[in-house]
Amino acid sequence: MTTPQEVMDNLDYDSSVVGVEVDVGTHHITSEEIIAYAKSIGETNPLYLDEEVARASTHGALIAPPLFYNLFINRLEPGLDPQVKFGTSGFDAGQHAEFFGPMRAGDTISAKAQIASVYAKTGRTGTMVFTVRRVTFTNQNGEKTATLDRLNVRRDIKP
Amino acid sequence: MNQRYIEDVELGDDVGPMVKEPTRSDLAAFVNVWGTKLGRFTDDEAAKAEGFTGVILPGNMSMAFLAQLITEWCGDLGKLKRLEVDFRRSIQPGDTLQCTGIVTDIQNVDQENQVSMDVYIETQKGERALQGTALVLLPNRA
Repeated sequence: MTTPQEVMDNLDYDSSVVGVEVDVGTHHITSEEIIAYAKSIGETNPLYLDEEVARASTHGALIAPPLFYNLFINRLEPGLDPQVKFGTSGFDAGQHAEFFGPMRAGDTISAKAQIASVYAKTGRTGTMVFTVRRVTFTNQNGEKTATLDRLNVRRDIKP
Repeated sequence: MNQRYIEDVELGDDVGPMVKEPTRSDLAAFVNVWGTKLGRFTDDEAAKAEGFTGVILPGNMSMAFLAQLITEWCGDLGKLKRLEVDFRRSIQPGDTLQCTGIVTDIQNVDQENQVSMDVYIETQKGERALQGTALVLLPNRA
């Protein structure tokens, strides 16, 4: 079997974009979309769902569930693409997130993205190539709200 | 929601389980809010062409169940600080998901009460579809 090192040695991708951070746009958060997102995953916390309760809380407005950024992340610009040529299919392989404070209704979130790394790994389905895209979210007050590593894996899928 | 305090927590404590049974309409509602058009989440035939038996849940939908498990366990004064989850196997509508955690470490660092946990989602087939770790901050009982 091909080792991960051999895969990396022969991998066709653009390594020049790794570690280069770019702006990928902003998103204005509305109460309606927080409520829609919270309901769609079955959340019941009134801080996400009830504007009156949330306004009376220390937060002063609806707050978003931790993973709310997923609602708008695919609507941001894609950022730099390392154009990894490997396998037949790409999948989300995981998310590693760190949270600094909640996103709130009325916030305008700015996002920056970079390709943090590209690496190969051998698992139960053969060799896979991972691309880690790091996204940093900052609100209109310049406060970092979250950083996210999105793991994408490319491998061969046999239907 | 009940508030949890650091004094309430011991090493090895269970977090949950919280059971989720996502339906096709739950998936459709999430996909609609999320705005994806990827066939593996929206169309059985497209999912089959990729080797699945039918539509699957986006990893970030199932991961949100783990975030809910943890934040409900913490209570509103607790904070989810870090959540690192790997998507290991696909989840389909109709699956029964046990969303579970176990406390693996309790530390006081820089005046913060830090609780580490392993978290995972197990399907009715006994497979761990999602697996990861979390770090939460809990307040002291006043």
